[in-house]
Amino acid sequence: MRTLFLTIVLGVALSAYDAAHLKKALEEKECIGCDLRGANLSKMDFSGGDFHGSDLSGASLEESLFEMVDFNDCNLSGVNAQKALFWKGTMKRSDLTHIHARGANFKGAHLEQSNLSFADLRETKSWKINFTDALLIKTDFTNAELGDSQFIRNDLRTAKFKQSLLWQTHFSGVVMTKTQCSHAKKEEAILDANVTCR
Amino acid sequence: MIKFVFLVGMIVLSLGAAPIQNDDQFKAAVTSMGSDNKLVLMIYTTSDCPECAYMKQKVFHDKAVEPYLNRNFVVIEKNVHTSQLPDGYDFFGIPTMFFIDKAGNKKETIVGSKRPQPFLADLRRIRGIK
Repeated sequence: MRTLFLTIVLGVALSAYDAAHLKKALEEKECIGCDLRGANLSKMDFSGGDFHGSDLSGASLEESLFEMVDFNDCNLSGVNAQKALFWKGTMKRSDLTHIHARGANFKGAHLEQSNLSFADLRETKSWKINFTDALLIKTDFTNAELGDSQFIRNDLRTAKFKQSLLWQTHFSGVVMTKTQCSHAKKEEAILDANVTCR
Repeated sequence: MIKFVFLVGMIVLSLGAAPIQNDDQFKAAVTSMGSDNKLVLMIYTTSDCPECAYMKQKVFHDKAVEPYLNRNFVVIEKNVHTSQLPDGYDFFGIPTMFFIDKAGNKKETIVGSKRPQPFLADLRRIRGIK
């Protein structure tokens, strides 16, 4: 009974978006500093939109298009973004912890200083992404395509890179495991002198 | 006035694009096949596209892919920023690869890059020859 109560309370709390904000987001593709927690934004085209400073935690963005969308300083934790498209989007300083983005396309996205800990980025198309100063604790890049992306000043030791494509991926000032380093070199990644393999 | 602008636009568009059968690169590719029953692989690229570079420098030259590709396909490349693109070959992402038979019929389209093994499997499926 207590569990049921907690589940209901938690469910309500997670999907407590502001209806006026959701209406604005759907009609104008733009909602700055909005409360869109748990909102359903799936299977829609928001390309060119602006959501910076908004709280989208727990929202569904599944299979939506967000080409060149501004998600800077957003809360995207726990978002379902499977097969969504974020081409050339900006997500700087954002919280992407526990994001479910399997099969999504982040080509050319800017993720500087964002927190992607526990993010599921398996099978993503993640070419040319900038991960400078991003937090990547237990981030799952299994089978992801990370070619020409930049990892600068990251601790990657707990991240999973199994079968990831790292062709021409730049690593600088990062800490990696020996296995990760070996995989990166085999994939023809570019590791500079400031990379620590241990 | 609107009618006039529309008509001028239509004329400009019709002058700008032509059917694939009239495309010089396509015609040269078909000529180079001789009597071989190959397909044309037309890849759309841009100069700042790392996935395109990966396909051209790594995948097309992979030791398993290259012999099959050379035996069964003729590759032509079009930079979407500098080349004239044929009618009916619009694109959503780069790279886009179109597979076209000698008569100019589009058989399949692949968007994005592929690893060598899945790409080779796609080539075999599209070509229908193991």
